[in-house]
Amino acid sequence: MPGRLSRRSLLAGCLAVPLAGAVGGCSSAGTRASSGAAGPVRITFWSALRGSRQVVDAFNRTQSRIRVDFQQIPSGGQGGYAKLSNAARAGNAPDVATIEYPQVPGFAIDGVARDITGLVSDRLRGQLLPSAWGLTTFDGRVFTVPLDIEPMVMHYRSDLFAQYGLTIPRTWDEFAALARTVRERDPSRRLVVFPTDGGHHFAPYSWGAGAQWFDLRGGAWNVSMVDPPTRNIAAYWQRLIDEDLVFASAVDSRQYDAQIGQGIVLARLTGAWDAGAQKQARPRQAGQWAIAPLPQWDPAHPAVGTQGGSTFAVTQDSAHPEAAMEFIEWQVSHPDALRARLASGTSSQYPAAPALVAVGAAAFDRAYYSGQDIYRLFHEEADKIRNGWIWGPRMTATFRVLQDGFARAAAGEGSLLDAVRTAQSATMSDLEALGLATVEHSG
Amino acid sequence: MTTTAPPGPAPRTITAVPTTSRATTRRREHTACAVLMAPFFLLLVVVFLIPVCTAVWLSFFGADQPGLGFGPERTVFVGWRSYAVVFTDPTFLAGLGTILGYCLLYIPLLVVGALALALLLDSGAVRLRSWAQLGLFLPHAVPGIIAAIIWLYLYTPGLSPVVELLARADLTIDFLGARAVLPSIVNIALWSNLGYNMVIFYAALRAVPREIIEASVVDGAGPVRTALRVKTPLIRSSIVVVVLFTLIWALQLFTEPMLLSLSSPMISSRFSPAMYIYDAAFTRNNYGLAAAASVILLLCTIALSYGVTRWSNRAGSRGEA
Repeated sequence: MPGRLSRRSLLAGCLAVPLAGAVGGCSSAGTRASSGAAGPVRITFWSALRGSRQVVDAFNRTQSRIRVDFQQIPSGGQGGYAKLSNAARAGNAPDVATIEYPQVPGFAIDGVARDITGLVSDRLRGQLLPSAWGLTTFDGRVFTVPLDIEPMVMHYRSDLFAQYGLTIPRTWDEFAALARTVRERDPSRRLVVFPTDGGHHFAPYSWGAGAQWFDLRGGAWNVSMVDPPTRNIAAYWQRLIDEDLVFASAVDSRQYDAQIGQGIVLARLTGAWDAGAQKQARPRQAGQWAIAPLPQWDPAHPAVGTQGGSTFAVTQDSAHPEAAMEFIEWQVSHPDALRARLASGTSSQYPAAPALVAVGAAAFDRAYYSGQDIYRLFHEEADKIRNGWIWGPRMTATFRVLQDGFARAAAGEGSLLDAVRTAQSATMSDLEALGLATVEHSG
Repeated sequence: MTTTAPPGPAPRTITAVPTTSRATTRRREHTACAVLMAPFFLLLVVVFLIPVCTAVWLSFFGADQPGLGFGPERTVFVGWRSYAVVFTDPTFLAGLGTILGYCLLYIPLLVVGALALALLLDSGAVRLRSWAQLGLFLPHAVPGIIAAIIWLYLYTPGLSPVVELLARADLTIDFLGARAVLPSIVNIALWSNLGYNMVIFYAALRAVPREIIEASVVDGAGPVRTALRVKTPLIRSSIVVVVLFTLIWALQLFTEPMLLSLSSPMISSRFSPAMYIYDAAFTRNNYGLAAAASVILLLCTIALSYGVTRWSNRAGSRGEA
């Protein structure tokens, strides 16, 4: 087993040398590739991200060696991932695909995302945050390139906070007390919604509290979704739900849109990207929102998880991995790429490349947030991202089972902790069915 | 030549007729048999045997990568692993529990309901019999997915006039809530299938010899007694067939919960075994697992169908004795 692995990494290392050279000197790779066929190298790119069309157009304008054909696809949960899996199985996957962080290991294991360890140049490696690389690197192998990293923050109604005389909570205890105050001030309003369809909200709550759902110790997938931090998180939110201090419902719903639109819910705990989404969805609430750091368990040692964020993969079937990689590198690290994306509308993604933060801050219109320097806040929060988190190999399914349990718990059937336990056992079944080496930790 | 030649072969054919014609008719019969049965066997092989064998085959293989799984994929024989996983997966077992509850609620309601309606129609107590029959049968002509959409509309709070009417009467019923969702699905299935099964029972009742009914009336049996003690036992074979078909249909519950899950978080992505199979194949990309779950569902169906036939045979022989 170790012998084989080392042989493989040796092979990867051998491959890495010429390829890294090719990417480092882009022009030489490009001319070599285009000299064979007439015209530029054509690669295809699928994404559900807003502004991708503008980014592709900008890339195609700036050079003539690589021609990117872009196709907008539905977001992952809306069928985008199924489309990608099916295309990969049929052998017509795009050269470059967009994969969110939780789904990276799944697509890596399924052989859709290519092992690009050897294609990542040292320049690119140094340009992106190590905490972002950590989420796309498994067993020493890189599978996707991070575009943005989204620390979880608190978006809140600054006008209503002022009206009710509320202060920003620094700890989760203060947060619970604040939730009670909000209900006392107006029994029809609540501070937040516990998202019953939000496995990807619950995970960063746990992540920030020190949980480690998945781990690769000892060459196996260690699954410990019911570790003490996660149990505490489940108990904390269970108490808020039981005492009717928060709503517990789906956030991907018209009901939630209405609750936010009418100010019935005062805050959202989401990634930095949501600042732009909010601005686009509800332009009339300009000046009513502000962003604060997420409450902490231990303010002396702050830690947060990430919510949202995307990465780019070169697919296994790609005939032009070097060209695909060049395009990805430009997308994630070139200022023009970020400008094109932000110019397209109202994205507020926090780039995984720190050098681009200033570009993002300059391109984002702050008026909606009453001039608050939200990018500086994101920058501070991104530094608090706790390293070492690893997503599981079947995260979409894990989230689904978790959310099915959350929905039942919100209806009074079982508890949040029951939901986490069921999600863990179902995940174990899925991993065993894939023939992976697994170890289950029951907390 | 022309006059002498024909008689020549004629006697030969005459003598040959008895043997060859019997052989040719038999051969012709065989050919006809083969031609007429060929479509059946062809379809049996193409749409049943091959898929079943493929599923069984698939269920014993997996696209495996050892260890952490980041290596190249290989298709390997995994034996009973997928079956073991399916049987230890709490979500599949929950799905089996759901379908069991569904069958226990749905099948008795359907059979008793359809039988009662058929007996009512047959007793002549109903006027405009053909209209009643048509009205009851009509929902069956509505495809399952359309039926589910109609009922989804009727169940969804805020859209449904039914929920609104009940709310006006100070009754809040969440048809898609945790407790009500299974009865709600049973209701859709009943609406779709009651009329169809009633027609089967009614047709069987029409075939019951009138003399027997008259005899029972002469012996002093009232209409209820005649219906329950005379007519019902006489159409026992139809009842068995309906139970059998309904059971097989019910075990494959998929369309209604799949559609209702759009509107109700109480219906999980692995609500029934069929939904588990769909989820395994298309969310979890694990065809081996999906195939194993399919084979298990098939075996359950076969076992239960066999159980129903055995039970009805024994009950039948006891009844005759």
